[in-house]
Amino acid sequence: MTAIQAEGRTTAAPRGALGRITRVVKLHFANPWPVIITPWLILGLIFAINVSIWAIVTAAAGPDSASEVAEGFQYSGASFYIFVYMMVVAIMAVNATFAYALGFSATRRDYYLGTALTFVVLAAIYTAAFVLLGVIERATNGWFLNGRMFDSIYFGNGPLEQAFCVFTAFLFFFFVGAATGSVYVRWKAYGMIAFFAVFALLVIGALAVITLTGSWPAVGAFFVDAGFVGTFAWSLVLTVLAGVAGFFLLRRATPRSS
Amino acid sequence: MTAVVETKGLTKRYGSVSAVQDATFTIQEHTITGLLGRNGAGKTTLMSLLTGQEFATSGQIRVFGANPVENASVLSQLSFIKESQKYPDEFRPKDVFKSAPWFFERWDKDFAERLIDEFRLPLSRRIKKLSRGQLSAVGVIVGLASRAPLTFFDEPYLGLDAVARQNFYDLLLADYAEHPRTIILSTHLIDEVSNLLENVIVIEGGRIIVNQDAESLRGSVTTLVGTAKTVDEFVGARKVLHRDSIGGLASVSVAGLSADERKQAAAAGLELAPVSLQQLVVRMTESNDNEFKESA
Repeated sequence: MTAIQAEGRTTAAPRGALGRITRVVKLHFANPWPVIITPWLILGLIFAINVSIWAIVTAAAGPDSASEVAEGFQYSGASFYIFVYMMVVAIMAVNATFAYALGFSATRRDYYLGTALTFVVLAAIYTAAFVLLGVIERATNGWFLNGRMFDSIYFGNGPLEQAFCVFTAFLFFFFVGAATGSVYVRWKAYGMIAFFAVFALLVIGALAVITLTGSWPAVGAFFVDAGFVGTFAWSLVLTVLAGVAGFFLLRRATPRSS
Repeated sequence: MTAVVETKGLTKRYGSVSAVQDATFTIQEHTITGLLGRNGAGKTTLMSLLTGQEFATSGQIRVFGANPVENASVLSQLSFIKESQKYPDEFRPKDVFKSAPWFFERWDKDFAERLIDEFRLPLSRRIKKLSRGQLSAVGVIVGLASRAPLTFFDEPYLGLDAVARQNFYDLLLADYAEHPRTIILSTHLIDEVSNLLENVIVIEGGRIIVNQDAESLRGSVTTLVGTAKTVDEFVGARKVLHRDSIGGLASVSVAGLSADERKQAAAAGLELAPVSLQQLVVRMTESNDNEFKESA
């Protein structure tokens, strides 16, 4: 079989590899609702809720404690939801388009590479928007309420560090989603159950090992040493692992009707 | 003649079930082949294997001379919209026709537009809300307008009314004449397509039981009608595929009569009638007897 395969590869494909990959990117953007519009609607909703909370807290605390309130606002996890939602976007994107792309005679390889490129592009778009909103947030003194959502303390200091942290965070959630989506299209519901069972076991195992060896201080020290920026940089290792795992999982997946 | 599809001992097993078993066949360039068989016989699995969507358990497949699995240069020449093809949620037919040309290099936009009119397909209704017939029409339009050198149609008529089905057959034949390509059509409405088909592959229980040109297949079985006594005398030890009797009359389908035998039968006062392709396939798939395969 290998000989046959090798022979097939030598005949030149009418369209270059890049063209075959970018058409998959176009496919993901063909319907902008799941990848662009819905996430922004959700982000807008979260933002609106936060603005009301900031207004309520500021009003309740009174003008005297304004600086304390502002300090508290910088520990904002409000944007966390949008990152997790990107994992959902990735899973849905893989599930929605895999069988369709194969039906349109794409190879799994080109499909996965195109999908990965889509996720990098999406991460870049969302990061740019995030940084821009962070700039506005600073310029308007927290939307005139000392509020913090995009310029959270977890994303380091200044737009450059923020861009790096946000970009790596988006990449992490997109590629974990890509790997999870690959498990789903390959094994459907049973695969997901097994996947989460194994995942839970790994997490519990890791917690057990850390606790039993009394390594919690060392773990704490690792994050303190790495800092926010360093921790985001380390997440790239997991992102790459997830991306590679997704590729090999998808290479053997077949379109299922259910 | 160039072989577009060649398989050798092709087998696909799901657990203990063999969906395709030891299939060896060849399909020549620029022909229309009917892939006939009952529901669950393995038609869709076989086509999924040929298009690299499923992985073979064993055996060899060559499509345009190479293994189609993950082979971009082979796949770029194929079009296969499954009967159960999944579309992205929220997609409308117009999204399908917008994205199809990105993947099918020979896509003919004008032809696609003509087909959309012909099948009266609502372009802006979500795929999920389409009727079965409209969903079939989406697959038919992609299959025809993609003009792929090797095009598969998987039970393309499901839910289409008689007029739309006839339209499809006419359009397929006309476009095939203008743009010759290799077409594989899976169906169980055999009589409807019997005029289109040049070759017939019959699959039953995952096994290929017939792989023959349609003309000689039709001639391979004859129905003899006459009095029961005359019929029985003539048939003798011949293999009977099917037998009907009403009162003293009998109608018997037998395989492989030579010209001389036909003359003898006529001289004995029997009436000879050809068997339609559909009856033939029904008879063959009814009996699990493999003897027929050899005598045909």
